[in-house]
Amino acid sequence: MSSQRLKKLSQYGFLAPYALAFFTFIVLPLFVALFLAFVDYDLATQSPPRFVGFDNFHEAFQDQYFWMSVKATLVFVVLGVPSTIVLALALAVGMHAMSRGRNFVRALIFLPGMLNVAVAAILWQWFYNSEFGLFAHLLGEMGFEPLPFLSDKHLVWPAIVVMTLWWTVGSSAVIFLAALQQVPPQLYEAASIDGASAWRQFWSISLPMIQPVLLFILVVNTIGAFQIFGQPYLMTRGGPELATRGVVQYIYETAFNNYRLGYGAAMSWLLFLIIAVFGFLQYYALRKMQR
Amino acid sequence: MNAKNSILLLFLSSVILGLLRSGTSGWPFEGSEEKVQINFWNGFTGPDGRVMLRMIREFNEANPDINVTMQRMEWGIYYNKLMVAGIGGRGPDIFVVTAGALPRIERAGFLGNADALYAGKDRVPAEDFDPRLLELCEFNGHIVGLPMDVHPQGMYSNARMLKNAGIVDAAGHPYPPRDRKQFLAAVKRLKIAGESAGRVDQWGFALTVWRLNFMSLVPQFGGRYFDESGQCILDCEENIAALEFLVSLLGEDDLIPPPENGLGWIGFRQGKIAMVFDGIYMLGDLHRLNNVDYMASPLPQIGPHPGTYGDSHVLCLRAELPAAKQAAVLKFMRFLADSGLQWAEAGQIPARISARETEEFSRMKSQAAFAEQLPYVAYPPRTPGLFELQQQIDYAVERAMLKRVTPAEALREARVNFETYMDNANLPMIAKVSKSKTQP
Repeated sequence: MSSQRLKKLSQYGFLAPYALAFFTFIVLPLFVALFLAFVDYDLATQSPPRFVGFDNFHEAFQDQYFWMSVKATLVFVVLGVPSTIVLALALAVGMHAMSRGRNFVRALIFLPGMLNVAVAAILWQWFYNSEFGLFAHLLGEMGFEPLPFLSDKHLVWPAIVVMTLWWTVGSSAVIFLAALQQVPPQLYEAASIDGASAWRQFWSISLPMIQPVLLFILVVNTIGAFQIFGQPYLMTRGGPELATRGVVQYIYETAFNNYRLGYGAAMSWLLFLIIAVFGFLQYYALRKMQR
Repeated sequence: MNAKNSILLLFLSSVILGLLRSGTSGWPFEGSEEKVQINFWNGFTGPDGRVMLRMIREFNEANPDINVTMQRMEWGIYYNKLMVAGIGGRGPDIFVVTAGALPRIERAGFLGNADALYAGKDRVPAEDFDPRLLELCEFNGHIVGLPMDVHPQGMYSNARMLKNAGIVDAAGHPYPPRDRKQFLAAVKRLKIAGESAGRVDQWGFALTVWRLNFMSLVPQFGGRYFDESGQCILDCEENIAALEFLVSLLGEDDLIPPPENGLGWIGFRQGKIAMVFDGIYMLGDLHRLNNVDYMASPLPQIGPHPGTYGDSHVLCLRAELPAAKQAAVLKFMRFLADSGLQWAEAGQIPARISARETEEFSRMKSQAAFAEQLPYVAYPPRTPGLFELQQQIDYAVERAMLKRVTPAEALREARVNFETYMDNANLPMIAKVSKSKTQP
């Protein structure tokens, strides 16, 4: 065997474990889900899958609970993604400007992200308890009425967003910080000599230079936000009045509590389409801005 | 041969011997027959799991030819795994299913026939169970499991708070309310206003799991979920009355705190709520606390009849087990059927009447108090759509409690949505009951 051929084979060899896992756990389930979306398949019956064409999609379009879950998800995306980006960027800029203690602050911000979602959610559920929680106590000390954070339709999403920010903003901030550290310092020096303010330097140097990272964080956070499940599932069970039951929770309940795999698969494809459209729009808009 | 080669040879020999062993049914050097391996799955992840583990060790020691291994997982993911594994033919040999979930699991076709358990020389006497409970385990003329326990809803009260409020009997002992009048009086008396306006330092009562609070009151008002013909009657007058009572607690007097998920139990643990309705399975949580002097009692009779809601853990076996395995599984089931008192230590009420009539059980004060309700406990409806029904009830109770709609409107909407769901899912409203010969 020639050394060239051996080299090629070894390349495939290195790729094989990941490719195998990718095919088994991503590609294959994708096709299985596509098949399931067009059949009526109740896991809890002994009858085989029955082809029903677009019936499952048709049912989703007419299902008020599906649209309620889409609306709930969109509220979280709209509130959660911009606030994560802005806060993470602000934290990264702050840390970048620090000459001492940067590593300590970075570790501190990153730390909550190491907690399991169940731990974080239960902790915040207690914080938010309107009668006996930490925030109720603090508000009471200041002479205010306690707020029903998790049982009021208007407060519940902001409450979950704040908890999510505490839990996840660290990872985005650390990535932004790494990107900021890659910006050549000469650019700032030159701008300073020309009299540019810190604000001007941020808008004209930092932001354009980290745009690829910004795009990455934006897309990843948007996809993550569309897939929200753990926080509302654990903190509110989707309440009050199903206001926080997102699409993924509804798919999970349909497919794995009610065992309607076909309908669950159809809804997951619809969610995929929604995410794909948003992802594409974000990518397109940022690329256009870059040009 | 150098040292490196010797180690390599030793390693390879071990691997080959290991492979040979795993590929054969017997191991010639042991000189004994291989044990029958039994896989047992359940969702007992709390203190109940520790008690079950102790019982399994006892069984394994007494039966050297059988080895039961237990796998525990959270109930939330347990049913999904059980369902997928069961359908794929990789399910456990023996597993636990709540009686309410049986109609759904039964449709998947991997529940084995447990009639043999109730027949023959070592039979478990079927007449030692509540016939209504055994009926929940019957499908197509066969019993598919062994009810281990009953876990009803009941009332937990903080004894110290009751005493401080003067809610005591003639001997000065705290006395949990037993009827509607006593209950409402206690709720009012136990509410203590805070220093600042509008603040409450102590509540007499709060809701815990809204759906279960509602479903516990349904039998008290004579309510049901399905009529004799199998039609859903979730919005019948009796059910509306039960929900109206809950909503009335939030009326003009603000007798209970604003509804919020999980608030009741957290407040009770913290000693800020005097009484809550919850399941007997919460005893495990209370045992861990030193600062709550709690009392367990039956639900007060709010409606015209005594009543509460309850379910049961049912031991089931996999269909088409090999004969030797089936015999071992049945032996293990008989052992558990005879160990009801040990199981009661985990905070459960034994399903067998004879175990409940023992002196030992009567000494378990909380369990015995909850067990007073067994003659009239209402078990879950036999519907394969129980999960969806519960979800609709959750939503209806929440909307009624938040006063978005009236109780009648909330339950009517829930009934219509449930019917639509069952229609889309092609599920029958209720699972038919066909009497087996085993039933007394």
